[in-house]
Order: sequence, then C-alpha cells, then structure tokens
Amino acid sequence: MDPNRVAPPLRGEKDLVVYAENLRHTYDRQRFALDGVSFTVRRGEVFGLLGRNGAGKSTLIKAMTTLIQPTSGTLRVLGMDPAHDGQKIRSRIGVVQQSESFDFTTVQGNLDVYGVLWGVPKAERTRRRERLLARYGLGDLRKRRAFDLSGGQKRRVQVAREFMHDMDVLFLDEPTVGLDVIMRREMLDSVRDEVRRGLTVVFTTHNLEEADYLCDRVAVIDEGKILVLDTLENLKRLYGGKKTIDLSVSDGDSARYFAALTDVLGPRATVTAKDRSAVILTDDTKEALSKIVELSHSTGVQLDWLNVRKNTLEDVFLRSVGHGGESIAST
Amino acid sequence: MPVPNLLRLIYRNIKVNTDPGSLIILIGLPGMYLVFFGYGFGSLAAAGGSSTAYLSFLTPGIMSFQVVMAGTVGGSILWADRRWGMLSQLLVGPFTRLQYLLGIMLTSMMFGLGGSAVMLGVAYALIGSGPAQPLALAVMFASITLGSIFFGALMLFIGALVKSNTAYNSVQILLIFIVNFASTVFYPLSSGLPVALRVLFYVNPLTYVADAVRGAYSGTLTGLDVYQMLLLGAETVVFLFLAVRAYMRSDVSYE
Repeated sequence: MDPNRVAPPLRGEKDLVVYAENLRHTYDRQRFALDGVSFTVRRGEVFGLLGRNGAGKSTLIKAMTTLIQPTSGTLRVLGMDPAHDGQKIRSRIGVVQQSESFDFTTVQGNLDVYGVLWGVPKAERTRRRERLLARYGLGDLRKRRAFDLSGGQKRRVQVAREFMHDMDVLFLDEPTVGLDVIMRREMLDSVRDEVRRGLTVVFTTHNLEEADYLCDRVAVIDEGKILVLDTLENLKRLYGGKKTIDLSVSDGDSARYFAALTDVLGPRATVTAKDRSAVILTDDTKEALSKIVELSHSTGVQLDWLNVRKNTLEDVFLRSVGHGGESIAST
Repeated sequence: MPVPNLLRLIYRNIKVNTDPGSLIILIGLPGMYLVFFGYGFGSLAAAGGSSTAYLSFLTPGIMSFQVVMAGTVGGSILWADRRWGMLSQLLVGPFTRLQYLLGIMLTSMMFGLGGSAVMLGVAYALIGSGPAQPLALAVMFASITLGSIFFGALMLFIGALVKSNTAYNSVQILLIFIVNFASTVFYPLSSGLPVALRVLFYVNPLTYVADAVRGAYSGTLTGLDVYQMLLLGAETVVFLFLAVRAYMRSDVSYE
C-alpha cells in the first residue's frame, strides 16, 4: 500500500482531526517541499512526523496551522478547509513553533498576556498560570524576562504558555529541542496527560525515542514524501520476526567485506553499510552471525564490534530514509 | 461577555510596549523638546515678544509630533513581533491578519492621543492656560487621530517592505528627522525659506496636522486647515491600502 494514499473521509466522520490528500507545496516553483503527502489524524491520537532537517515536517505543520496554503491537494483540519475557515480552525488549535516566540516581558507576563489573547477569564487565567508554572518548573523564573532564559527554559515557557488555552488539537514542532533528559521526559509526560484528557497531538521530532514514547502512529517524511506511515505496533510487527545486528570492522577492505556479506546473507537479510560499520536486519540471527564470522576469517577483515538487539523505530527510520530511500509501506 | 479579538490585541500591544524605555522615548523626548526648545528658543523670540508666546506656538506642534512617534510605535510593534517570533505565533492564534494589523493601528492611535494629551497637560502647567472649548478639543482630537492613523499606516507599510531590523531602524530615524524638521512643528512656514524647502513643508503631512492642531489651539482655524485635513484623509486612505497590501503579502515564516 502506498503510504501517500489515504481513504477519503466518510460522511460525518467526526473523529477525523486532519485529513490530507495529495498535498503539494512549493516555495520557489522548482522544488516541492511537500510532494504528494496524504494522511489522516484521528481524534485523541498522538501522530508523529519524523524526518531529517528540510524533510518537509515544518511545511506540513504550517499548512495544517493555516500559515501557508498548500499549492495543491486537499486539506481538512477539524473538518474545515484552512483556505476558507482559517480563523475558525486557529481558534481550536494550539501551536508550539520550532523557533522562539515571546513577548518582551517576564515569564509570568508571557503566560498572562497569552491567556488574555485567548480570552481566558481572569480567575481561570491565574489558576492555569500557577498550575503551569509549577508543572513546568518555572515558578522560580516567573519574574525573569523570557528572553534572558536558557534555551531549555525558554522551550518550557513556550510549551507551558500554549496550555493557557483550551484546544482540540495541539501541533508541537520539535518541542523538546534544548531540554535535558529529565525535563524532556517531564514534558512528554505532560503532553501524555493532556492526551488522556482527549487532546489530539501532531508532533514533529528528530528524536526517535520520543516518538516511540509518545506516538500512536508515525509518518516518516523525507524530501516532501511520506515513506512510512503506520502505528508503532504495526511497524514493529513488520520487523517483528527480525532482529538487528550492529557490526563494525577495524581492518581490511570493509566495502568488499560488506558487499560479500550482502551476497552471502541473501534476500532474508538487509545490510546497510556506511564506512566501517553496518546494520543488518535479519530473521535468522544464528545463521547470520555464523556467516559474518566465517566471512571475516576467509577475507581477513577483522571484526571490531558485534551486537544483536531487538529492532527499534530507529531501524525503521534508517531503512526508510537513510539508505537508498527504499519506501516501506504499511501492510 | 467575551472581549473582542481587536481589544485583546490592543491590550497586548500596550502591555508589552509600555516599559520605561519606550515611555521615555514616547513621552520624554517630545516633553524635552517642549521644555528645552520652548524656553531655549523662546528666549531668542523674547527679544521681540515674550517667551510664553513661543511656548504657545510650540505646544500644538509638539502635540502633533506625537503622531509621528505613535506611528513609529506601530512599525516597531510589527518589527518586534517579527523579530521575536510573535507575529507567526499570533497568526496561528484566533486572529485574522487584518485584526492583527488593525490592532497595531489602533494602538498607535491611542499612543498618539495619549501622548498629545500629556503634552497638552505639560504645556498647561508651564503656561498656565490652554484651550478649553469643546470644538477646539474636538478638532485637535480628530487631527491627531487622523495623523496617528496616517503615520501608523506609513510605518507599517515600511515595516512590511524592509527586510532587516537595522534597515527599518535607519529608515525610521531618517524619517522622524525629515518629517519633524521639514514641518511647521517648531517654526512657521516662512516666505523666506528656499522654494525646495517650502515644497517639502507643503507636502509633509505633519504640517497639515500641526497647522490644524495649532489653529484649534489658538482659535485661528482657516479654510486651508480644512483642505489640508481633507488631503491628509485621502493620503491616509492610500497608505492604509498600501500598508494592508504589503503586510498581507509579507512573509511570516518562523523557521
């Protein structure tokens, strides 16, 4: 199945938060930042967009948040057309952008002003502000100007600020950049809490562990195309019978060694090599290990590192994007 | 009852732009002009009359000067929002682009009216008298409102076109200087001026505002003042159109 094709929404299908069909967008009429992207996001799910820098993730977020109009294709957000119902859509979404955005005032001031902008009544605004300052560890920083904070602190303010208002869907564009491990996990947990209360989240990230932790479904996007789109369970099931062998060699002609290894292992394994390292995906670990060692003896190429592990989302990502651009569709 | 979007945007613009530094520029600078120029140049003028007479001449000029300062507030809000990422953040909020623009324009207008009122109060304290007739106050109110909208639109137009903050600041400073000193804010239009300079005075919209406010302030409004205000009204419409068009086409990207 082509991951860039989706079924059209059924009449009255109320749980469809985003419907995108064959979206294309160009900034310069030469290169397409989005090139035939199709997907749906359902109410209450966390939908992850994974991809390298410049893959098209932010362009897709901009289209869904009505900042740009796609050059062609069909897009519906909360059942509405961004081209005609932009304001209605925007009044029901939250957006944490990739870049910094602050009013030139204190942390507390930023939250307060944002609450006013969204029409949150004063008592509720104060209650939310205090809860969010505590939730995101910003209580001691409330009197500091937002621009004077560190990168991670600023990020926390941006995310906290967005929860000053109610929304049906939250777009998070790389929200954890600059956060330490603990704060990153706390932020993901806070988003999870909101999801449990019924919030739908569209989330872009480079970090595959985060996607694994938070997302129900992920789409891997590269050069404006969706290469993989499925639930995490399905993606893992797709690779479920297989395991990953990481290996690196220290001596000899590694390119010849990896080429020979690809031949020896045959179609039941996938070898992805770079320089002196390779990632091998196989459903018969025992046989593969034996052949790796055998070939090392016969070619004189010395093995430096050998490790067998379960597949991760990173393997899916690397296979679909990093090496050869082979598309993996959901089954 | 929910507060309309436009009022929320105006509240935000005022709230984040009323730090002490901004107020010193907005109120302090024209205030210093009024005091130092009023008494400094007034002492020169005193040779042929009284220094209070120059202060009375200068007061409506400085009140009018506030419309230029108010215009720069509008342009600066747009630039600051762009520079600090709030433009795109607001435009993914529950507002239209037009509401955002109108919010800035109305904020400029409020700064213009507020600043003028402060200058009027300062002058009243210095001179001991001032206009109290409702008609005079209404004409001053209308002139300053129109002037603030004109200069707000002009600065937004420039702000939407110029691609860097440095360039915007340079244009703004140059414009303040030219518009301020090539107008009747500080001195009357004299027949002794070179023709080129007189033309510059005549086409400068700040001259129209200053003449109308001065006419109302001193009770000497003429037909020319009315024509000038009509011309300013037409120019305001043109620049509003240009500002809206340039802004609607401008990039709000956040990457």
